[in-house]
Formats: sequence, structure tokens, C-alpha cells
Amino acid sequence: MDAFLTSRIISDVLTGLTNGVIYGLVALSLVLVWRSTRILNFAQGAMPMFATYLGMGLLSYHFGYWPCVAISIVAGFVVGGVSERVLVRKLYGKPEINPIVVMVGFLIVLEAVAAAIWSTLPRGLPSPFSAIDWQIGGKPFAMSDFSVYEIVTAVLVMTLVALLFRFTKLGLQLRAAALAPEVSRLLGVRVGRMLTLGWMLSTAVGTITTILVASNFFTGLTPQVMDGIFAFGFIAAAVGGLDSPVGAIISGVVIGIVLQFVGDYLNSNAIILVALVILIVSLMLRPNGVFTKSTARRV
Amino acid sequence: MNSPNRLGHALSTLGLVAVGIVVAALLTPNAHAATVLSVMVTVAVLGVSTLRIPRLHTEHPVVARLALTVAALAVVLTLTFFFSATTNFNLATGAAMAIVLLGLSFLTGASGQISLGNGAFMGVGAFAMAIWANHHATTPIVVSLLIAVVSGAVVGLLLGLPATRLRGPYLAGMTLAFAVAFSAILASFNSWTGGDAGLQLPNAATPPHWLTSLFHSGTSLLTSNTMWLADIAIVAAGVAFFFMGNLFASRTGRAMRLIRDNDVAAELVGVSLPRTRVIAFVVSSSYAALGGALWTLINNSVSPSTYSFALSITILSLVVIGGIGTIPGALIGGIIYAYSSSVISWIVSTTGLKAQGNFASQLNGIIFGVLLIVAMLFAPMGISGAVLRAWRRRSSTKG
Repeated sequence: MDAFLTSRIISDVLTGLTNGVIYGLVALSLVLVWRSTRILNFAQGAMPMFATYLGMGLLSYHFGYWPCVAISIVAGFVVGGVSERVLVRKLYGKPEINPIVVMVGFLIVLEAVAAAIWSTLPRGLPSPFSAIDWQIGGKPFAMSDFSVYEIVTAVLVMTLVALLFRFTKLGLQLRAAALAPEVSRLLGVRVGRMLTLGWMLSTAVGTITTILVASNFFTGLTPQVMDGIFAFGFIAAAVGGLDSPVGAIISGVVIGIVLQFVGDYLNSNAIILVALVILIVSLMLRPNGVFTKSTARRV
Repeated sequence: MNSPNRLGHALSTLGLVAVGIVVAALLTPNAHAATVLSVMVTVAVLGVSTLRIPRLHTEHPVVARLALTVAALAVVLTLTFFFSATTNFNLATGAAMAIVLLGLSFLTGASGQISLGNGAFMGVGAFAMAIWANHHATTPIVVSLLIAVVSGAVVGLLLGLPATRLRGPYLAGMTLAFAVAFSAILASFNSWTGGDAGLQLPNAATPPHWLTSLFHSGTSLLTSNTMWLADIAIVAAGVAFFFMGNLFASRTGRAMRLIRDNDVAAELVGVSLPRTRVIAFVVSSSYAALGGALWTLINNSVSPSTYSFALSITILSLVVIGGIGTIPGALIGGIIYAYSSSVISWIVSTTGLKAQGNFASQLNGIIFGVLLIVAMLFAPMGISGAVLRAWRRRSSTKG
């Protein structure tokens, strides 16, 4: 009995971790855009979805999985950059309602266009890793090659983003353009270009996330594949604080694990309900997020 | 105002009433209907002539709004008598949607907050109505509509409490999470909400006897039933619009607009920010619940798939296209909604698209999404804002 309980707890933690890194990635991509342009990108699920269709659609033309992944990521950079140049740029400095409404509109258009081109039927992405749980001592263990692939990729992406921001000149320029656009413009940073780059980066991170989600045997790629995950990612970002990349990742992982326990011990319908309660309570206690220092708002 | 002028006013009013009664007698199938129609015409003419009293709008704005509402209701209710069942059904659906739009328009236009979850709040009202009717089948319609409104207000209050401290994007994200979670919430109360199948009302709303007797004896039941439902929805919309007009002009309404424009200034002059924000949010969710309850009544059933995230987005699009923060904008949005599906199927049939094809089935989303973006970028005040601006420009060049 005791052994059974322990294994149930361990398997919940591991499954939750696998989901949590995905939420963390979505939260991270939201934070990247929020920090640089003060826009909460409601199309953060849909833009990468579109890029993923563009890239992974080539599977039907006998391209391999990995070339398609590479093309998808490039498509993610392109989709992010074009969206910022064409659409988002018009929204800077507008009342905060405008970007919300426009990005929601973009979300519907992208999902509808994707469904019009590629239909709403789920499309399996043949991942090179098996999703069958490992067996340890004849008992299934809640890890598989596929979940290791998810976790390793997520950690890799997070590390790369962190390294980029912390140790490269480009990262410094990105941070400067986000935090003090006027000063950095005077110092020769091409602020507009940096903002575009921020959106490209965030969409590319989102594309990797979408590929991980859609490569799961049980999900597949659909135009609305990211809707629910976007909600969890947003909750993670809001709980952690939209200004804190580390907070976003940590709260993503924690929420993933907590919700796995909820799903296991209560029922699967309670998952999003509990997530909503977590969001409401945390926003009431710390409106700016757990991991952000409160700052006075400029008037 | 001198006395001959007043006399002329009274005479013209009486003359219009007389003409209306004669027309009513000629158009209607029986004496009973002619009487009802004459009363409606009289009410409409009296309402309009009240509006023509000078200084009424400035000195007694509430009376003016009441007269406008009553006159408009009398006209539209009279028209429903002549409409086909299809038109009346569309009208009922559109009137209920107009109520929802008015609620969101008020929240955004008056207090600067935004909700992406009003489709789910509609669902709260719709299911509250159906659940109540299934347990207490004999409740009068007005009471069960009010119960739905109260349940919408309670849920709105629960979600609105954190809203007091939230700024735009956080609130939008939270309401989005609610909209996405709504189907799971319904599913976790399966035994009440009827699961995927939803609920049927125990008995259809049937018109009272005097109303059916207005028609030719051979008129199908569907015609009189749909007219009755349309009339209920229209009267509910009238009450909702009248109330909102007053709220918008009241002290609370002014406080909300101040918060929208400058929340710091609002706090400095003593407006309670949390209180006003919660009121705006609760009003908007109650309106949504009323609209949802009316939909349950109109369709005689409720299905969880109606109240998806897509509905919330449609509501947002309609508000933006009609004109945020304007009362005509909500009406325009309601009318657009009532006819959008027929317009889209017309587009599909005239362009020769395959009706079951991928593109045709996504046309709704593409059109609404593009309109939403275009309206927000190029005409942020929507249709009613654009019309108003054009009208002002015309009158300024004239004078």
C-alpha cells in the first residue's frame, strides 16, 4: 500500500513536470513579448500554431521529422516578425484595450484560416520517441522517451533564452530596448528592430512548444491545439508575474504538478477549475505576480 | 410655449392617433386585434409627442428616456405582429444578443475594463434559467429571468473581486480563462447541467390566450409562439436599455467614465475605484446572463456547446464593430448577429463555395476576425461612431 502510494505520488510529480515545462514555455513566450512591448499576446498560441502547420505540413511531402522541425522554427521567426511589423507596430502607445482586441481578432483569423486550409481534423506528427511508459521491475513508470524529449527540449530552450539575454550583446540590447527605449535609442540601439526580434524570438519559442504538444500521440496538430494550453500558460505567467521570466517558468512547473494531483485525486474537469481559483486567489493577494517586486505605477 | 402652439401639438397628436387607429382597423384580421393595435399606435404616438415637449430632455431626462423606450417598444412590438416566424425568431435572438452587447459595451466603454468571458456569463444565465425551470416548472417567466440575472450577478461578483485590483490585460486573461474553463465547469456539475446533451425546458413558453386570439383562426401555432417569444425578448431588451441609459447618465456612470479616462484623478476626487469597477463588472455579467436566459427561453433548450469560447469572441467582435460604449452600437451589433448566419450562407451560395467545405465553414471566423482587427485599427468607435462623426461633419458644414 505504502509503495503504491509513493509510486502514485512519484508518477503524478513526473507527469505534472512534463506538463509543467510546457506551461512554463508558453508563459516564457508571453513574458518575452510583455516585457518588451507591454502587450499581452492573446495570439501567442495561434501564431506558433500557424508556423507549425507551415513547417510540419511538409511531412506530407516526405520530409523527415527533424527537417520539418527546423523549418517550423524558421517559420516561427518569420510569422512573429511579420506580425510585429504589419500588425503589432500600429498598437504601441494606444489604450490598453486596443492591443487586447486586435490580438484576439488575430487569434480568430489565424485559427479560422488554418482550419480553412488544413481542416480541423487532428494531424498526427510522428515523433521519433516512443510515448509508451518505461517499465521498472515490471511496473509502468510515469516517464517515457517522449516525456524526456519534452523536458530536455524545454530546459534547453529556457537555457538558451537565458544565455542569450544574460551573456550576449544582442541580449543586452534586447533588455535595454525593453526597459529604457529612449535611453537605448540615444545610445545607438535600434529599438524598433529589437522589438521585432523580441516577437520573433517569442513566436519561435512558441513554435517549439507547439511541436512538443502536437507531437504527443494523443493530441495531434489541430488549429485549436494551443487554446487550452494558452490558458494554463497565461495563468502561469500571471501567477509568476508577467515581468519575470524565471517566475513564469517556475510557476508553470509548479502549476503543472499541482494540477496533475488535482486531476488524479479529484477529476479531470476540476483541473481548469482549480487553475482558475489559483489565478483568482494569487491575483487578489499579489496582483503583480509572486515573483515580481511591486513597483509604483507611473502616472 | 404659447397656447396656439400647444393646441397645435395636441391636435396633431390626436390626428396621428386617429390615422393609426384607422390603419390598424384595416390591417388586422379581427376586432380584438384592431383594439390591441390601436392601443399600441396610441402609445407610440403619445410617446413620440411627449418627446417633442421642449426642455424635457434637459429637465426630466428620465421621463424622456422612458417615453423613448415606450414609443420604440410600441413600434417594434406592433411590427412583430406582421413579421414571419423566421424574422421574429431572428429578432428575438438579436434582441437577447443586444442586451449582452450592451453589458459588455458598458463595461468597456464606461469603465475601460474588458471581458473575454461574456459568452460564459451568458451560459451561466442560460443554465440557471433551465435548471430552475426543471425544478419549478410553474415559475412565471419574469421571475425565472430575474433568477438567471441574479445568478449571473453572483458569478460576476466572484470573478469581479480580483478585478478590483487588476489592470486591462490581467482582467482580460482571467476572463479568457473563465471562458475556456466554462465547459469543464458545466461538466463537473453533470447531474444538474445534463452533460453534453444540455437541458430541455419542461414546457414551452406559450402565449397567453388573448394574444393567440389576435390572429386569424387558422394561423399556425409556430407563428404566434415565436411572436410571443420575440415580444418577451424585445420587452426585456427595452427594460435593459432603459435601465442602462439611466445608469450611464447617473453619478455611478460618470464615476466610471472618469476611471476610464484617468483612474488616479478619479481616486483624488473621491471615487472608490474597487467599488465602481466591481459594479461595472457585475452589471455586465448580469446583462450577459439575462441574454443567455432569453436564449434558453427562445430555443426551449440549452446546450453547453453554444457557450464556447468562440461565443465570447463573437460578442467582443460585435461590440467593437457596433461601437464600444454607445447604446446604438449594441443595437447594431444585435441586428448584425441576428442576420450574420443568413448573410454568410448567402455569401457561400452566391460565390459558389462548397457549403460543407473547409473554407465555407470557417468564413464566419475569418469575417468576424478581420472586421474586429480593421475596426479597432481604423474605426475604434465602430459603426455608430463612424456614423455619428459623418453626421456631425455634415451638420457642421451646413451650419
